[in-house]
Amino acid sequence: MNFSLFSSRKATAAVLLAGAAGLVSSCKSYLDIEPTALTTTAAQFSTVSGATSAVLGAYDPLSGDNTYGTRLSMYYPYDTDELIGSSGTFDTGRRGLARYKAYASNTEIINPWNNLYQGVERANVCIKYIPQMALYTTGTSADTASLHRLYGEALTLRAQYYYELIRNWGDVPAQFSPSSYDQDFNLPNADRNQTLTTLIADLATAEKLVPYRSGAGITNERITKGAVKGLRARLALQRGGYALQGNTMTRAADYASFYAIARQECLELMNQRREHTLNPSYSDLWLGVNQQRHDAYNEIIFEVGMAGSTATGDSKLGYYNGPRLNNSPIYGSTQGAVTVVPTYFYAFDSTDVRRDVTIAPYQYANGANVQSAVALNTIYDGKFRRDWHNPPLPGTNNYLGYNWPLIRFADVLLMFAETDNELNGPTAAARQALLEVRTRAFNGNATRAALGVNTGSKADMFTAIVNERLLEFGAEGIRKYDLLRWNLLADRLAATKANLNLLRAGTAPYNTVPQYQYFRVVNGVVQWQRSFYRPSPANTTAPSGTTRVNWRQGIDATYVANLQPNGTAVTIGTTAVTSVGSGMAAEYVPGQGKELLPIPQTTLDTDPAIKQNFGY
Amino acid sequence: MKQHLLLLWLVLCASIGLASAQNRTITGVVKGSDGETLPGVTVVLKGTSMGASTGVDGAYSLNVPADNKLATLRFSFVGYVSQEVAVGTKTAINVVLTSDVQSLDDVVVIGYQEVRRGDVTGAVSSVSAQQIKDIPVNSAAEALTGRLAGVQLTSSEGTPGNNNVQVRVRGGGSITQDNSPLYIVDGIQIENALAVIAPQDIASVDVLKDASSTAIYGARGANGVVIITTKGGREGRTAVTYNGFGGFRQLSKKLQVMGPADYLNWEYERAQLTGAGVSGGTGTFKSVFGSLNFSGDTLNRLRNLPAQDWQQQVFGRRAFQQTHNVSISGGTKQTTFNLSLTRNDEDGIQLGSGYVRNLVNFRIDTKASDKFRVGFNARFNDQENLGAGTGAALGTSSIGQTVNTGSSVTSRLRNTVQYLPFNLPTFAGGDPTTAFDPEFFNNSSLVNPVLANNNEYRSDKRRTFNMGATASYNFTPALVFRSTGGFDITYADLNTFNGLYSPTIRQAAGGYQNLPFVTLTDGLTTTLNNSNTLDYTFKRDKHTLNALVGEEIYRQRTTQQFVQVNFLPSDITAERALANINQAVLPVGTLSQPVLPSTTIPVDYGLVSGFTRLSYSYDDKYLLTATARLDYSSKFEPGNRGGVFPGASAAWRISKENFFQDFTDKVSDLKLRLSYGQAGNNRIPDFLTKPLYQAGNVSYALNHVTTPATALTTLYNPDLKWEITTTRDVGLDVGLFNNRVQFTADVYYNTTNDLLINRSINPILGYTQQYKNIGSTSNKGLELQLSGTVIQTANFSWSATANASMNRNRIDDLGGLSEISSIQSGWAGSALSGPDYVARVGQPVGQMYGYITDGFYTANDFKSYNYATRTGVLNDGVASDASITGNPVMIGTIKLRDVNGDGTVTEADKTVIGNANPKIIGGLNQQFTYKNFDASVFVNFVAGNSIYNANKIEFTTSTANTSYANLLSDMNNRVRYIDNNGALITDAATFQQVNANATIWSPVRGNYFLHSYAIESGSFLRLNNITLGYSLPKGLLSRAKVQTLRFYVTVNNLATLTGYSGYDPEVNTRRGTPLTPNVDYAAYPRSRAFLFGLNLGL
Repeated sequence: MNFSLFSSRKATAAVLLAGAAGLVSSCKSYLDIEPTALTTTAAQFSTVSGATSAVLGAYDPLSGDNTYGTRLSMYYPYDTDELIGSSGTFDTGRRGLARYKAYASNTEIINPWNNLYQGVERANVCIKYIPQMALYTTGTSADTASLHRLYGEALTLRAQYYYELIRNWGDVPAQFSPSSYDQDFNLPNADRNQTLTTLIADLATAEKLVPYRSGAGITNERITKGAVKGLRARLALQRGGYALQGNTMTRAADYASFYAIARQECLELMNQRREHTLNPSYSDLWLGVNQQRHDAYNEIIFEVGMAGSTATGDSKLGYYNGPRLNNSPIYGSTQGAVTVVPTYFYAFDSTDVRRDVTIAPYQYANGANVQSAVALNTIYDGKFRRDWHNPPLPGTNNYLGYNWPLIRFADVLLMFAETDNELNGPTAAARQALLEVRTRAFNGNATRAALGVNTGSKADMFTAIVNERLLEFGAEGIRKYDLLRWNLLADRLAATKANLNLLRAGTAPYNTVPQYQYFRVVNGVVQWQRSFYRPSPANTTAPSGTTRVNWRQGIDATYVANLQPNGTAVTIGTTAVTSVGSGMAAEYVPGQGKELLPIPQTTLDTDPAIKQNFGY
Repeated sequence: MKQHLLLLWLVLCASIGLASAQNRTITGVVKGSDGETLPGVTVVLKGTSMGASTGVDGAYSLNVPADNKLATLRFSFVGYVSQEVAVGTKTAINVVLTSDVQSLDDVVVIGYQEVRRGDVTGAVSSVSAQQIKDIPVNSAAEALTGRLAGVQLTSSEGTPGNNNVQVRVRGGGSITQDNSPLYIVDGIQIENALAVIAPQDIASVDVLKDASSTAIYGARGANGVVIITTKGGREGRTAVTYNGFGGFRQLSKKLQVMGPADYLNWEYERAQLTGAGVSGGTGTFKSVFGSLNFSGDTLNRLRNLPAQDWQQQVFGRRAFQQTHNVSISGGTKQTTFNLSLTRNDEDGIQLGSGYVRNLVNFRIDTKASDKFRVGFNARFNDQENLGAGTGAALGTSSIGQTVNTGSSVTSRLRNTVQYLPFNLPTFAGGDPTTAFDPEFFNNSSLVNPVLANNNEYRSDKRRTFNMGATASYNFTPALVFRSTGGFDITYADLNTFNGLYSPTIRQAAGGYQNLPFVTLTDGLTTTLNNSNTLDYTFKRDKHTLNALVGEEIYRQRTTQQFVQVNFLPSDITAERALANINQAVLPVGTLSQPVLPSTTIPVDYGLVSGFTRLSYSYDDKYLLTATARLDYSSKFEPGNRGGVFPGASAAWRISKENFFQDFTDKVSDLKLRLSYGQAGNNRIPDFLTKPLYQAGNVSYALNHVTTPATALTTLYNPDLKWEITTTRDVGLDVGLFNNRVQFTADVYYNTTNDLLINRSINPILGYTQQYKNIGSTSNKGLELQLSGTVIQTANFSWSATANASMNRNRIDDLGGLSEISSIQSGWAGSALSGPDYVARVGQPVGQMYGYITDGFYTANDFKSYNYATRTGVLNDGVASDASITGNPVMIGTIKLRDVNGDGTVTEADKTVIGNANPKIIGGLNQQFTYKNFDASVFVNFVAGNSIYNANKIEFTTSTANTSYANLLSDMNNRVRYIDNNGALITDAATFQQVNANATIWSPVRGNYFLHSYAIESGSFLRLNNITLGYSLPKGLLSRAKVQTLRFYVTVNNLATLTGYSGYDPEVNTRRGTPLTPNVDYAAYPRSRAFLFGLNLGL
């Protein structure tokens, strides 16, 4: 056969190359195609505007469905003793997250993880190339200032992305330089404490680069010094708090030094009240968020900007959560998928203005333009409400452009109180910071606010802070991670389940909770006819002109039984019920590692070096 | 009798006239094998320019020099095997020409050279015009389906025009990239040629299947080369032919859905299960149907309403179609030409769908001198596909095909099959096909399918202009220079409009805010292609040596613009919206249009190549060919641009050996072929080798204004290089009884290495995919072709062509990975989570991955069970599938198998439950003639593959988001939870009594998931085409100066023998990646065509 003649590709190549040599050399430029729509790294990072655009690209993964638009703001932080994510039996989607029974193949886990790492990569690119720019050192003062700020923003963004990864997944791989095609693609788990320590140092650098709000020009959602400091305090508390290692919650021995960092950062911010301070009105603050107007007090220090009605740039805040609006011709539709744990309603003092901001016990029934009350088992969270949108937004659009606040000044005050107490005991400064937050919640009534707040001992002060953070930050995606760093998640979930049974039975402290509630609708708004803290009358029929809704009645044996894992046979009072596992944290069992999420299957499949978290 | 007299008269005249001449006169009549006389046959005295043609009666006369005793006459006619007859001393020579099924003397252009078919040393499948003349279809691809061994053409759905045909030569080696072959039309490379050529213009199609013949095409030849020769002109009188047909199409199958009573009872049950006071529960039921009294008058009246057959109303029309093709051809000795005009006008069976095409094809070839020949070919194709189709939103796949991208909710097929099966008498709007029922929509997310169809407009216009020129110059008879140049412009103009009642705009998640929107997509692809070759032939004695060297450049540029405008006035029509897109008014609270106009990254792609071939033959007995090609592609970095693709083949014509001469009376031709070769593939997107940023590809909102931002497009890879396919083929060609029977068998083993895969990478890197050369696949198989004339008598002939191929695909290596993870067909969007396909090492591509259906949970599965609350505790060892179904386990819910035995059904219990690859495919074409009648029957088959019937999953599942959707009537046998009075069952006895004959689970479920119930055998045997024709006798026609006139009737897709329960087993709707073949989701249902046609030759 003639195979041998041409079996050598080299020989053939030689023949061809000889013949085509002239041709090919002239064609080299013919094959070098300029990608007119694209730019190279050198070109991108040659101007301030190019660098700005790249940093905005690093901001981009904060917004949209897969991160703070929906998943990280409304799926990941629940269930806790405040709110319940989309009720129902655990499934392969969001209910698997909420019920603490998630699988590695859950797309609700895969996509946010991928997006967060995309953010890390984009930040890494900026962190590498911005300081290398000629303008960074030799440009005009305006240019250098802009580039320093951009560099600091990139460092802060990376810290935010890693913070989110670490608190949800633990020892996640960490990369601090842009991905390269020729690097090792197999990245092992990295010790989270080490990563956090690095990030805390990064933020110390960033602080020096980024101006305060007042010096940053146009006010918008870009990071300023307050955000860097607030985030640094948060990271320090994460580093100094408890975290799941294997199946036990542990805390590093050097934790106090990180509390000191957090305390210092908060203190410095508290000394810059012209930059950020509390809005004296809690309701005005949240109305402002819904009306998308600028808050004169700049209480929100760091928030994710949302707009554009797209899955990648907007949020479903106020559509996915908030009171349920069913085809209201004026206000539109919402899903009302996040509900409130009934005991959370009763955690508020009756005069605490935060209750009626945080909780919305009403809906707009099908086609209605007026509110109607809902039963206690289906009350909704209320900080993001479509019916507060200004102007009203009819229709079914899912994206309302609501920003997601990441750090508020109230958090700075309470973090200060917490760290100061931890380091120095129940100091006056700590108590003052706590009471500042609380007084605002009672519309400035300091006496009422101080009533019953026991800060006598370090432990009492801590308990007061744990409680205050529950009340202050409801529906802001903070509670679950607070409970985790305090190692209180298991306790609080168990206590809440027990309390719900007390509520069902109407025993103390819920002995005054009415069986039913009665309401009228006045000017389109629900007007409750009786106190929430007074038992129903003997005759439970609704008086004329009012409508009755189930209140404590809604918390029945089935409700309580469903707090247990699916299939558990429970006897509540005299009723035997098999749980369908649809209630708050129904599948949660301490010690099984479910405090962290599983590393996504797609990552396990492509990264042989990574180890799955305990319990998955 | 009159005819015979005429004939006699002619013969006499001729004899008288010729007898007086100096020369000898030869006369005779030429007939076809059917006994019919053949007019226009060229009769030449071999070696001279003396010749004649036969008249209308088939008679000829020719003067031959009286002294030339060695004279030989050559009779040739297109479509027939040429014949040579020694004159000797004869004066009358009558000849019967046999029709040319496939002549060994034909030439075929393989690799820049004309090659005698008999000398082909590679594996080639061919079809000639003769074989497809009876197939009156508008799509060239459809005409070829089932006729080529080793070539699988799969129509993905039944859309009019049928432009989405997937062509696979020997399986295709690439895993994630396009496996389409390269098309060469009349010597010039044309993109997607089957879509721009009328079947009536095709003279022959040759598919080169092994690298010995494709290697010279180098890049893009790896998936086979399809060589199309269009009909050219002929020397002689100008011939005008007309081919036309018309007829109608009809839906060939419907799905059985529940009627009014069954539907209502089911909805009642579902509402009861959902409960009171809950959306979709009993309250909603009452508001939709007017009553909750199960046996009451209101519901009974509804049960007795006439059933509305929406499939009939949407797909049931008799869709008219007509095709006209006129061609004028002719020429002189120097110049021949062919001008062909084709018009297709085809309505789709779906309301509002249709296809119109106008095609002009012009070809001219001229001999400027004995040495210089020039040819020119121009083709203009102007087509429009109308209709929004049956699937959800259409988009463009990674490989440039039009595919369904959206999820299930808005699919028009779903709205058609699942819409309320009766007209609600309470609906105030009157006729639901013209008025919208907002209340029913709010509860069901369903829009009346007729209304939905009329509110969705899609026009896909393509204009393609191809120009090609060829020139050849013979320096000496042995040394020829050839040059070809091709220029190709394709302009695509896609307009869509979704009106007020389109299901799409009513999806909250879409952000359309219930207002119409339009999209305008304009694309332009220009291609320039030039090749120059020098061809030298050396002959001495029995040795023939041929050498070819050549060079080729190829350049392509693609640009696209996209504009979407939302919030158009609510009552606007498609025409008015598209004519003026500036009418949008932003709704309150919306600051900007959500989708900004965009241009895609212009793609410039260039290829520079040099190639050579040496072939040697000895006495036509031993044939050797060696080729090599060097390609440089702009898609790679300079160091990796070049790819060298060698090929070699050998053939041994055993029948020419001396020792074989005793058998040649029976075995007229016997040839053994061996070949080996390589070809490259670079079909990946451009600009992957450098880190590049795209401004505006991402954005971030500042102060609630979307601000464009910049990010890297991909994780670059400068190491990308050619993917290489190596093919090995052994073939045997046998001709029996003077080639009356021809048999070809080929065995091949193809491997593809350095696969260009957009593989999943560790997402921690910030990217989920990256192109890389990894791994290898292989295809091995066997192909058989048999053709022959079974019976040949004066009045009757019967010829048959059969082919069969078997291909086995295997992923041999994935660069260390054991599988490509997370392959999702995506038919249900996020409502179906996790992968439903796997591609694993050691297995073929296209493995369907899901749960095994184990019937439903029964009382035996429970330790304790409360019939009133429908909750219970499962027995030890019985696994719960609640987390997969999204529904608590009850008696009667679907049961999935706990494959790994860990006590619960989880994602880990998915297994391979189906394989999309057929075991064998093939076809059988039979042609008959009896006197003036002719008939043909074409049957094709596919066996041994699985279809993923996603329609069936959707149409038998009731999720919270799909309440009030009708179900397949299979669900009438479901487990029921209400008794005969409509009350929820609370005790075991009633439950057992009601469900004594239940055979299938309850449809209620939280999620969609793939389970083995939906995997069905895709085997089928299709009576694809049956034609009966009658040609008017020549004698009769001649008086009307007509050469041929034939009438025929045809039925396409007459019957399909299959066990498949869906519309049609030939289906492939998730074409975004080659990894998810054979999903039947919202495909356009296939139709049956009844046609009448005529062929007229003047």
